[in-house]
Amino acid sequence: MARMALEGVRILDFTWVVAGPVATRILADQGAEVIKIERGDENTMSVLGPRRTGLQGELHRNKRSAAINMNHPRGVELARRLAALSDLVMDNFSARVMRGWGMDYQSLVKIKPDVICISMSGLGHTGPRCNYVSYGPTLHALAGFTHLMADARGEPAGYGYSYADMAGGYSGALAALIALWHRKRTGRGQFVDLSQFEALVSLAGPALLDISVNGRTQAPPQWRSQEAPAAPHGAYRCAPRGGDDDRWIVIAVRSQAEWERFARASGNPGWTAEPKFRTLYLRMRNREELDAQVVRWAASQQAEAAMALLRRAGVAAGVVLNGADLCVGDPHLAKRGFFAPVKLPGGGSTRLTGVPMRLSATPGSIRTAAPEVGEDNDYILGELLGLGRAERAELVTEGAVWG
Amino acid sequence: MSGRGALAGLRVLDLTDLKGHLCARLLADMGADVIKIEPPAGDSARRIGPFVDDRPHRDRSLFFWFYNLNKRSLTLDLGHPEGAAILRRLAEGADVIVESFKPGAMARMGLGWDVLHALNPALVLCSIAPFGQKGPYRGYEADDSVLTALSGMLYVNGFPDGAPVRPLGLQAYHSASYYAAIGTMCVLFARDSMGEGQWIDLSMQEATASAVEHVAAGFLGTGEIERRRGTLHWSRFFRVGRCRDGYVMHCTLCDWTSLIEWVNGDGKAQDLTAPEWEDVAKRRAGAEHLFDVLDEWVKDYARDELLERAQLLRLPYASVRNPEDLFDDEQLSSRGYFQEVEHPELGRTFRYPGAPYLFNGSPWRVTRRPPLLGEHTGEILGAELGMSAEELAALAAEGVI
Repeated sequence: MARMALEGVRILDFTWVVAGPVATRILADQGAEVIKIERGDENTMSVLGPRRTGLQGELHRNKRSAAINMNHPRGVELARRLAALSDLVMDNFSARVMRGWGMDYQSLVKIKPDVICISMSGLGHTGPRCNYVSYGPTLHALAGFTHLMADARGEPAGYGYSYADMAGGYSGALAALIALWHRKRTGRGQFVDLSQFEALVSLAGPALLDISVNGRTQAPPQWRSQEAPAAPHGAYRCAPRGGDDDRWIVIAVRSQAEWERFARASGNPGWTAEPKFRTLYLRMRNREELDAQVVRWAASQQAEAAMALLRRAGVAAGVVLNGADLCVGDPHLAKRGFFAPVKLPGGGSTRLTGVPMRLSATPGSIRTAAPEVGEDNDYILGELLGLGRAERAELVTEGAVWG
Repeated sequence: MSGRGALAGLRVLDLTDLKGHLCARLLADMGADVIKIEPPAGDSARRIGPFVDDRPHRDRSLFFWFYNLNKRSLTLDLGHPEGAAILRRLAEGADVIVESFKPGAMARMGLGWDVLHALNPALVLCSIAPFGQKGPYRGYEADDSVLTALSGMLYVNGFPDGAPVRPLGLQAYHSASYYAAIGTMCVLFARDSMGEGQWIDLSMQEATASAVEHVAAGFLGTGEIERRRGTLHWSRFFRVGRCRDGYVMHCTLCDWTSLIEWVNGDGKAQDLTAPEWEDVAKRRAGAEHLFDVLDEWVKDYARDELLERAQLLRLPYASVRNPEDLFDDEQLSSRGYFQEVEHPELGRTFRYPGAPYLFNGSPWRVTRRPPLLGEHTGEILGAELGMSAEELAALAAEGVI
């Protein structure tokens, strides 16, 4: 097996739902040993699907699981002993939970002076709303993201997914790596108070500066530019494929050269002679008229064929891929082997979304499927903590561990 | 040491355009010395609005400001042999180079991985490209909106009977930049034991596909194609409802008993008091009806009143707020979220969004405002690289700097 960048790093992982598991998944993909501490009596997250495939399979792959009862004093004692053997302790509870168990930074630093604790709570550990309960979609609402996600009628229209969980997960993984680097250089651990709300708010940067500097009220951008201005720019409906009429292509024409290539490639060289469309400024000002023309053109095209045509002409264009298009229909992703198979214990295999960064010498990988809750009790309690079989049985009888 | 930030002592050369600006910004915020290398005419993001007072100018772009806080600016024409030569000298003393050129462009400028790795074996090269460095589509153009289309993100955003709606906030660029920063830190961490840097191939399409939790995973797990559902979250536990004075985000992944007692107390529970709704799976399957009933319930409430009462019951409801509201948010202000940043050349101080995380031992910090174009060219090439005033003047005359 290739070497892994984070070989030798051990993470005690109390995270659940999505944001926290995204953070520890990223680190596990690069070789960190991630030990999940989970309840064995009820799996509330079974509403997200089965454990080894689909979303849960992606969130928990490459990890190990111990079913330890944190509401039992001996369960907490086991967790504290595991913390002493770990480099990082990560959670995404609201502020009071880890403190209640004596698993917060102030308590753990006494048994492991260089411990790093990353707490990814919804709204942070301090402040008047630190005990608010939240999920990704409710954070979108509080952060202004839902408001700015309106359709042409002005009605809130998205998101079907939860970018807040990703903002939280990515910043959690990055915080963990930065804290590890700092400890390597100084020998010192620390506590990171990560508010998922603040991690999300930070990503609205230019809009927030427009408010604070120019005092401008932000309107939902829809297809108005959020970066380099472009016109035409939008999602245009293409010809049906079989019985499926939900086929769209996104086209972004930025420079004058792109505009000329777009007009030629789409078989409409006359567009460039049209005075109303002569410059980017005019194309943006007369955008509705321009869009009407592009809508007519796109409706006559198969989405994939139009994309190929425009790409060859050097115009930014992409089919609005659905799940099947993405996972089986995209030749580029297939060639890169992005969606990767993993063996399932008990036979068979499943495919999972891969690792989106390839490190040349330590590429990162999907090595093991997600464990069922408590699947690694023997390794974690036996090998790591050195408990004998009889002792482990006693812990189960007492209710400190689910066996 | 701790006062200087966790990444103090690391030098990063930032060759990215707007696709990757956030990556080096994340490292700069934690103390890395980030040199933004711009073409002599300025980074293209300097021409992107909004601008201060709506007056377009290369040193007044708020878009550029946000992504380039805490960096220094050096102008250098990398297409010119002398510019590339200077970059190679800088690379000898750097820990990280982040770039977002078209695949192959670095090599054509004499700055390919082989050259850089031979010059400085410890160097980390992080290459951010729409489709990565390898594969049949690697040479194609794509911006943020095209990448959201090609990752499955756009397909699930909007109403089923309408066009896909573009997500807010450059989620493709941001996802790619975060993964790039994470990959860079992984390589730096491994470098201590391996002794060598690595080349990171970051595909923005892959990073964005990874940022949608249910599209690929849903298809790979069950073969189902997820579709647009308006504001209904794919999990079916969240949907936007209209209040008297705005909108709220409903949440039914919660203590159902508390929620339904409240709704029932208001006389609005209809059939939701039936025990079958206590089952989470039933709430998921019957989401449309459930939210229709709850919409009737919330319509006479003020959104913030509803939020406060829900949170007292520990129900994860939220009000749909305007981004302007964030500046009066007590939670953010009590945590010192917004940062005052002085721009002396404008004689003004501006309020910037702050840290995504609070480190108690090695703080996130604003150490310098975003750089003016080429502000640090003399300082870096003269004082740090030891070039003479005559050399610098000659380079400027040739348009290299």
